[in-house]
Amino acid sequence: MKIQINGRWYEAREGEMVLDVLRREGIDVPALCAHEAVEPYGACRLCMVEITHEDWGGWKGNVTSCLYPVEDKLIVQTHTEDIIELRKTVLNLLLARCPNSPEIQKLASEYGIDTTSFVPREDADNCIMCGLCTRVCTQMGFNAISVAGRGYGREIATPLKEAPPDCVGCLACVKICPTHHIQYEDIGTTREIWGRQFELVKCKQCGKALITREFADYLIENRDIPADYFDICDDCKRSGTARDFKKLVHWEEKEEAEEEVSA
Amino acid sequence: MTKRFLIRPALCIGCRTCELACSLTHQENKKPGRSRIYPIAVGREQWVPIACLQCDDPACVKSCLVDALRLNEELGYIELLQERCIKCRACVAACPFGCSLIDEEQEIIVKCDLCEGNPACARFCPTKALEYK
Ligand code: SF4
Ligand code: SF4
Ligand code: SF4
Ligand code: SF4
Ligand code: FES
Repeated sequence: MKIQINGRWYEAREGEMVLDVLRREGIDVPALCAHEAVEPYGACRLCMVEITHEDWGGWKGNVTSCLYPVEDKLIVQTHTEDIIELRKTVLNLLLARCPNSPEIQKLASEYGIDTTSFVPREDADNCIMCGLCTRVCTQMGFNAISVAGRGYGREIATPLKEAPPDCVGCLACVKICPTHHIQYEDIGTTREIWGRQFELVKCKQCGKALITREFADYLIENRDIPADYFDICDDCKRSGTARDFKKLVHWEEKEEAEEEVSA
Repeated sequence: MTKRFLIRPALCIGCRTCELACSLTHQENKKPGRSRIYPIAVGREQWVPIACLQCDDPACVKSCLVDALRLNEELGYIELLQERCIKCRACVAACPFGCSLIDEEQEIIVKCDLCEGNPACARFCPTKALEYK
């Protein structure tokens, strides 16, 4: 099927959202709470676009593109005056919530907002409450963190604000957070996140560490991966593979090939 | 029939042209990517080029909890969907051949994608140690 975006036609696939097409085609629409690894959520409202269709008798509307499924001949406008105003309002609010976030400052200034017209939050952190971290943690099957509190005091937290028993220290939440709010620290082969400490699995040959013991154990138990796969790091496994293959190679082929070339 | 990626280590001269070709083919933001293939010295004048073996029962796919890795049936390779990947490194740790890699420069996870059907390493290998046919 085809959809029209800002006057040009683009290919779209059954079942995808308008935002998927916008991203694939590199059309610049801000979208802070959408990531392909998780289901869309519609929380940040920055991805709003205007839609219409020739069969809709002139009806137009503004929708969140991350939640709106494509349909054939849909007509999309990404930067109408209304939409730009909506995004400005959202960014103005976000800037009050997270005045110190470089990502929010940058996006807001792209829409001409350098200071918020609201009262900035006191002791502000950089969490925009997009819920990407909790959603990815749930998607991965850990459910270690969630939204706690209500209204103004809402925050992402661990159960009872203690070291989370179900966390495996995979860092998915850290990596997905659009504003780099979630902190962690690796010191040697110890990782600390959400107030809990993890040991990283050390390569038996060179000592390099890739993931935590808890994450590896989860994959061994639930994903049917042999335990010894995690004993050695990727670098040492490549070298080992090359040494294993060495035994299978007919090295005489080399001289034969060289003779062919010189003949 | 889908083509196959053939490696004949006996013909490899360790010139590392494949690494360069791979790197330049996988540029992002005008920066070369990390090569997905490595000719590894295993003896005097002996090298074995190592890249993803596109396993039948891939540990990387099983280890990915957000389905960012899957078999691309049309081209017969294990595809990493970059937009889905959350860089947890499970696949890097799980691949028994060490062929899911961290590209530190680009801050992403990468693996051989057979250049989506036209492997640059095989095209540039001067000795036909790598072929795709
Ligand atoms: S590090 Fe812990 S809280 Fe974060 S996604 Fe992984 S399991 Fe969940
Ligand atoms: S911590 Fe980051 S990912 Fe989680 S809700 Fe806040 S901004 Fe979103
Ligand atoms: S690093 Fe990316 S591709 Fe690899 S297992 Fe994690 S999410 Fe999947
Ligand atoms: S380009 Fe060919 S000969 Fe050169 S290192 Fe790679 S596989 Fe070996
Ligand atoms: S990306 Fe659509 S509402 Fe946030």
